[in-house]
Amino acid sequence: MLSRCSHVLVASLLVLGVVLTGCAKRPATTQAAAPAPTGAAATTPGSSAQAQPPGGGATPPSGGSSSGGTQSGGASTARPAPSEFVSIAELKDIHFDFDKYDIRPGDAKMLDTNAGWLKSNPNHLVLIEGHCDERGTNEYNLALGERRAKSTMNYLVSQGVQASRITIISYGEERPLCTEHNEECWAKNRRAHFLVKPR
Amino acid sequence: MTVRRSLVVALVVSLLALPGLPPVAPPPARAQGVDVFLNVTGGGSRKLNIAIPEFTVVAGNDVAGAGKQLASVAGADLTFSGLFSVVAGTGSIPANNPELLRQSWAEFAAAGAHAGVHGLLALRGERAEIEMRLYDITTPAHRLIATRKFEMPAAQMRRLAHKVADEVVLQFTGEPGIADTKIAYVVGPAGAAKEIVMADYDGAGAAPVTRNGSINLMPVWSPDARSLAFTSFRQGYPDLYRAFPFERRPEQTLAAFIGINSSPSFSPDGKSLAMTLSKDGNPEIYVLSLASGTMRRLTRHAGIDTEPTWSPNGREIAFVSDRGGVPHIFVMDAEGANVRQITSGGFHTQPRWSPRGDMIAYTQRAGTHDIWVVDVDGSNPRRLTSGGDNQGPTWAPNGRHLAFQSSRSGRWQIYAMLADGNALTALTRGSAENTSPSWSPRLP
Repeated sequence: MLSRCSHVLVASLLVLGVVLTGCAKRPATTQAAAPAPTGAAATTPGSSAQAQPPGGGATPPSGGSSSGGTQSGGASTARPAPSEFVSIAELKDIHFDFDKYDIRPGDAKMLDTNAGWLKSNPNHLVLIEGHCDERGTNEYNLALGERRAKSTMNYLVSQGVQASRITIISYGEERPLCTEHNEECWAKNRRAHFLVKPR
Repeated sequence: MTVRRSLVVALVVSLLALPGLPPVAPPPARAQGVDVFLNVTGGGSRKLNIAIPEFTVVAGNDVAGAGKQLASVAGADLTFSGLFSVVAGTGSIPANNPELLRQSWAEFAAAGAHAGVHGLLALRGERAEIEMRLYDITTPAHRLIATRKFEMPAAQMRRLAHKVADEVVLQFTGEPGIADTKIAYVVGPAGAAKEIVMADYDGAGAAPVTRNGSINLMPVWSPDARSLAFTSFRQGYPDLYRAFPFERRPEQTLAAFIGINSSPSFSPDGKSLAMTLSKDGNPEIYVLSLASGTMRRLTRHAGIDTEPTWSPNGREIAFVSDRGGVPHIFVMDAEGANVRQITSGGFHTQPRWSPRGDMIAYTQRAGTHDIWVVDVDGSNPRRLTSGGDNQGPTWAPNGRHLAFQSSRSGRWQIYAMLADGNALTALTRGSAENTSPSWSPRLP
């Protein structure tokens, strides 16, 4: 009487439509305290995944400072800490059109000025931040901000700034200068920002 | 043990019926004692009316009113499923009293119920145990359909109710429900710290996953529901990490290359993680083998390639590329070959492949953003949301529901809806900005 299908009478009365996909192949009466894990068994705690350094590619992972997490993938020498850089008045932001990462002609002139300062101050490293407005979605904007920072870096390199002095970072839409929801504000947020630190 | 006999009959149409959705015709009102919650979804499909009286406490002292709470939570779960209307009674049915049980079911049946859940709750110190008995009450025999026991730490009492609801859904549909799941999401306004939290799928019991004071983004659950991959700026740069929110286990660094390390997506077998890295020049899609640590590059294009999402059979990956000028959804096989464009026109990001395999949800920007779905072959695109700004779709593990973030209330909050856009339900409230939901698989 405890047949798994005993409720079919009830169900058939009720026209549940597509949800009535038939009887599950399992007994109606079970005493399990909890069902078995649903996910793939491959990723169990303590599996080899955790012990392995990530990213076996050619570029060594970095960011392995001592705080918090388990393993660190490698030395962090390739990436100076962003918090060590400061903004200076001599280096002006440049701006971008919506969903674009090419350098506009007027902004190229500003970049020429920035390149001039950097060439005159060869003992400074520069951090270029790429930013987006709030339109578009977070993940895509993180990539878009990266492209903006990279375009800016490439332009500075083309003007004679050593690539080895430049670090880039994308904040996507996470660090807006202006939080109103209008074009004036969005235009301010679509920017590349410059910070420096002494070598 | 409280013995309540007065499960007498009254039908009250619940105010839970959603605004904008016409309620079905209310049943005629009768005497006091039983409420009928009619939570209507579109499509006009009939629902199964199910009675869930307060659970009967058979051991321990229920000082916190768990018996009542569990019935209420399980009822809300079944209402959320879109398959059931809950006939909620006041009072509980005494244990070991066949005559009172028969009377109670007869009264619920008279009130329109087709099935009844009798929950027997045992409180044993740190543990709580439920025996659920599911009855067909459409015939005078009140046939027992199924009996099942669940046990949980008392601190996770609500999960017992979710387990009961999921079992009821299983008994009537052949597939378990999705109530015993979590939703992870990001809390905090743009420009400040953003932390990842997780809550029950219905928004209850939010608890921190990260607490690093940095920007934490894009949480995504692993297929075993034990870990979350996410992007964090906690070391200064956007790197990929994995947290184990149910274990005392430190976060694991997954990728910390120069450039962005973002948009994680676990393969369905949990062995690989697709992600976006810009270490080789611009944002491209890679697959990390979690066991060996080897990294395989899938895309090679001068534009932006990002936001991979696996098909449920693991053979294909959908992603976003701006190679056509503006971002669109593309699909490639899991080795990176056979790339084809799925969407056109518009500005399309955030693809999420349905667990059923037949659709891809995504976000379209047209002034504001809305959630759309499209068939995997690119046909039949249709909009699911309207009003405010709507982003970040994430599928429930059964493919019948989607959660997403919406600004319709004035702040970003997490909402859920059926996959046809109906039965909108707010999952989060309050003064925080809640974004980027990720719906977990069913918990172990």
